[in-house]
Amino acid sequence: MNDNALSSIRKRSYWLLALILIFGFGSIACRLFYLHIIQGQELSERAVDQQLSDTKVSAKRGSIFDRNGNTLASSASVWKVILAPAYFENDKQREYVSQELADILGMDYNEILELAKKNDSYYQTVKRRIESDERDKILALEDEISKKYDRLASVIVLEEDYKRYYPYNDFAASVIGFTGSDGQGLSGIEYQYDSYLTGVSGRIVTENDGWGTMMPFEYQQKEDAQDGNSLVLTIDETIQHFLEKYLKQGIIDYKVAEGSVAVCMDVKTGEVLGMAVENSYDLNNPYEIADESAQKELEKLSGTQKEERTNELLAKQWRNKAISDTYYPGSVFKIITASAALEEKAADLDSTYFCSGSLVPYEGVTAINCHNTLGHGSENFTEALCNSCNPAFMMIGKSLGEEKFWEYFQSFGFNSRTGIDLPGEATGLFFQHDGEPEGSMWPVDLAIGSFGQGVTVTPIEMVTAVSAVANGGYAVRPYLVKQILDADGNVVETTEPVIKRQIISEDTVEKMSAILEKNATEGTAKNGYVAGYRIAGKTGTSEKIGQSTHSEKDYIASYCGFAPADDPQIALLVYFDTPTGDAYYGSQVAAPVFASIMSEICPYLGIETQYTEEELEYVDTVAGTYLTMGLEEALNQVSEDGFEPYICGNGDTVLAQVPQAGSKIPRGGRVMLYTTNDSTKETVKVPDFTGHTVEEVNELAAENNINISFSGSVDLDTVYSYAQSVAVDEQVSPGTVVTVYFGNNKVDDKVM
Amino acid sequence: MVQSSYTYGDLDNFTSSSRKQKPKQITPAPRPTKARRRKKFRIFSKGEGLDLTFFLLVLTVLIIGLVMMFSASYPYAFHRYDDSYFFIKRQLIFALLGVAAMIGLSYFDYHHLHKFAAPALGVAWLLMILVLIMPSSGDGDEPKRWLELGVFRIQASEICKFALILFMANWGSIYYKKMRTIKFGVLPGVVVLAVTALLLYLEPHYSGIVICALIVAFMMFLSGVPLFYFGIAGGAVAGIVVIMAVTGKLTYAMSRLDGWGQALEYTTPEMWQTTWQTRNSLYAIGSGGIWGLGLGQSRQKYMFLPEPQNDFVFAIVCEELGIIGAFVILTLFGALVWRGIKICLRATDKFGTLLGVGLIAQIGLQVVLNILVITDFLPNTGISLPFFSYGGSSLVMLLAQMGIVMNISRSATLEKQ
Repeated sequence: MNDNALSSIRKRSYWLLALILIFGFGSIACRLFYLHIIQGQELSERAVDQQLSDTKVSAKRGSIFDRNGNTLASSASVWKVILAPAYFENDKQREYVSQELADILGMDYNEILELAKKNDSYYQTVKRRIESDERDKILALEDEISKKYDRLASVIVLEEDYKRYYPYNDFAASVIGFTGSDGQGLSGIEYQYDSYLTGVSGRIVTENDGWGTMMPFEYQQKEDAQDGNSLVLTIDETIQHFLEKYLKQGIIDYKVAEGSVAVCMDVKTGEVLGMAVENSYDLNNPYEIADESAQKELEKLSGTQKEERTNELLAKQWRNKAISDTYYPGSVFKIITASAALEEKAADLDSTYFCSGSLVPYEGVTAINCHNTLGHGSENFTEALCNSCNPAFMMIGKSLGEEKFWEYFQSFGFNSRTGIDLPGEATGLFFQHDGEPEGSMWPVDLAIGSFGQGVTVTPIEMVTAVSAVANGGYAVRPYLVKQILDADGNVVETTEPVIKRQIISEDTVEKMSAILEKNATEGTAKNGYVAGYRIAGKTGTSEKIGQSTHSEKDYIASYCGFAPADDPQIALLVYFDTPTGDAYYGSQVAAPVFASIMSEICPYLGIETQYTEEELEYVDTVAGTYLTMGLEEALNQVSEDGFEPYICGNGDTVLAQVPQAGSKIPRGGRVMLYTTNDSTKETVKVPDFTGHTVEEVNELAAENNINISFSGSVDLDTVYSYAQSVAVDEQVSPGTVVTVYFGNNKVDDKVM
Repeated sequence: MVQSSYTYGDLDNFTSSSRKQKPKQITPAPRPTKARRRKKFRIFSKGEGLDLTFFLLVLTVLIIGLVMMFSASYPYAFHRYDDSYFFIKRQLIFALLGVAAMIGLSYFDYHHLHKFAAPALGVAWLLMILVLIMPSSGDGDEPKRWLELGVFRIQASEICKFALILFMANWGSIYYKKMRTIKFGVLPGVVVLAVTALLLYLEPHYSGIVICALIVAFMMFLSGVPLFYFGIAGGAVAGIVVIMAVTGKLTYAMSRLDGWGQALEYTTPEMWQTTWQTRNSLYAIGSGGIWGLGLGQSRQKYMFLPEPQNDFVFAIVCEELGIIGAFVILTLFGALVWRGIKICLRATDKFGTLLGVGLIAQIGLQVVLNILVITDFLPNTGISLPFFSYGGSSLVMLLAQMGIVMNISRSATLEKQ
């Protein structure tokens, strides 16, 4: 029995041994063989996959410079904080990490906790663009977390990124554009040249451990990021500044509701020296509504209404009116009609026209009025343009014919994009009636088209067309990027000017320049005149037919011209959309701004002055220094410099002078010489200089012991002052220079 | 011999005819001497000598285990404790303690152990109850498996496994005649297992239940419980599985078992996290290829495979030593089991044979289950690899058990002469 029992146990022990060794060990051997040999390749590949980390190295986005090397946009390193909530094992960990992150990043704890609860995600962006001090804290936190919880070693990831800085804020915003959260260009040059600016991101492949740090095996492959190209714009920071300064002032002065544009272009090459679109916005905060009235409007709204309105306003804010908006050019377009007529010999300088104040262009059509309803009477071709006479231009258009008119509309480039290197360029439109192709016009279309109503153009098309008249008849392609530089600043590419075609002959150009110069000096455009420079130009006032929102009739006031007329260098278009003040004509609104801008740009570009004799009288001269001189000597010196000395006090040496040395005052202006210290406290009240003729202003200035600097047209017979640089009733030292702006907005000159 | 067997039979209340039967079997042994008889009375029996093959096999496996555990653990140890030697230092101390226990126990006459059969099980159960009651050191949701004893902690279930083998060996040696009955053959095992399983279930420690159930089953099988009952039990388990499969609950249960068998497929992020360890174990094994990446060259141990010093140490072995190294180690384990059972079969009493074979079978069982787990053939439930996995109480217990096996071999050699 005992033997049986023990031998049974032994027998069963062998069975158990066999079970374990054959069945158990056999099956694990098979399983191991399968995993090692059969599935080994796949498994080891997957293992290597997770052991190698492929890190993207962001390329630095290139900078944007103006033509003189001023930085308009540049990038600097920042970091993006990413949370991988999938690693969390319980709420305790979620809360801990969220709290720490909230403390470091100064964010809302609950907001981060929300992200931390997205269990299935490895990529939740917590904060973008943290700077290096915050980054250091995050790195320390990462370390602490991985010490505390093994599985959380990779729960926070920092990605290097770049932040875009725009040092000039709202400067040239529409041109430069801005970038999105991922550094991609969203508008303007940033968008257009995105592929150049972006560069090529590199990668680092390293062998990583489970926390994402490097394993002690030396394996690393690095592919450097190629930083983006930098761009040199044709924009000149100084010129751009002039444009923006005067546009901003103009918007305030004339209560402009829908913004304004000024484009300054090199007529020969097409380089855009300045392109200002106001109101502007801050490129560093492009999503903030810059316009204060719009902000107030938004505050009243809420919910989806607010959201929708915000989006609308943002789209409007970002819109580059200079290239994306089309408008009726109004009388500025007469330059085109006139050029075409002269080129086609449909008219010549001796052609005469009679304006009775209105004209029935074709039978059966109601009469179309001239802005001067009394009529201009008999006028030749030049006078017709200088009067900006609509009936005369309807006749000129008629003699040109529909076909030719359409041909020139095309060849001046109004129905095609200029090809400027900016996104979102629109094209002008010519008559198009239902079911008919563009360019098929009815007689009445030609009539109103001749004076710029009924055709739409973009500001950039207009200034390019006028440039063609200025540069000898050539259509050029306007452009903004002058050079493309590599990351080290070497020039990779230089943009060559593109001359597309000749539109009109030299002969026509000469004639047109003469007419436009006359117009800018004596004609309807004389408010755009700048003494000493030969300006050629044309005003325009157009009604926003069917688009008026601010009043019954909204207007667009513009002025387009070039200088100097004998050897044109630059063309400038100034355009105000919907001035809601008393003045709304191109001659009242756009012309003075044009003149102000030109008066700064011309000297800046070193364009030579050519004064008429009459002007010379009013040309400003620089006052010298007379300080510490003996009274006698000072009096002689002042007279010698061409000024009139006035003595204050009873000392014998000059202790102070007004105006200061270096100030500009007209010849014959007063120089106050103070010989005692207390005498400088004497002040005079600035009178109201506006609404007077030059003569009257001079008398008023003499009475008040104030110097006048004349600005604007100096056609003595017809101009009136309309603005002054120092406010009425301000107390100033005698001899202070007040700039008075002249123009002829008193003339009832409705310039269509 | 009669006297000798009678002597220790006297010491035990349970002593039955089995003890008295002994002389019959031993009769052919050549002239019993006084000296030998005296040795039987000693607590420490030196015998003729220990089985050198077995002893060397144990030491070889232990040393390889220590080296591989060190290799697998140092990156994690450095990360976690800033000390690459954190685990190996502790494991070495326990190994030394264990070897000392093994050598000591090889001198301790295993025949005395039957006296501790019932008390040992009682103590093991008590410890397991204590584990449940005592406040746990880790997070609230961590299983309660350890008894915190200040400097170190012991895993109560390790003691329980031994106690079960001891109890079942004792029971089988006493009631070997009645093993065919339900009352003596089936019921005790079922009851003992039920209590143990309940306590393990509360920890929870499911893999412990599986091991204990298999151990009890092995012991019952060895003791002579008819295969018929195993057939019923196996049939019942198979029946449940079939019913679950038919009703579609099997896949659900499988997915509930920590994504068993789904480690390589991405289903949900949570599951991807749950199967992290198993997946990285598979990656490690697959990366090993034929020859492995070389000792110390594992990449998966760098925080991809969590806690590589514990249950998954063999995955790192596979990665570093390849299938060749893995098979060599498996062969060593196989040889150890083979030799262990062989020497236990030399024992002249049922108690010794049952105890020794049971203890060796436990090692074989754990090796098989552990490797089935790391190869994603069984759900990941925490079965350690004998001599390899980090764990003081487990290692000391294992080596102590080997000491008992050695004593069985010693006594058998002695008795055979």
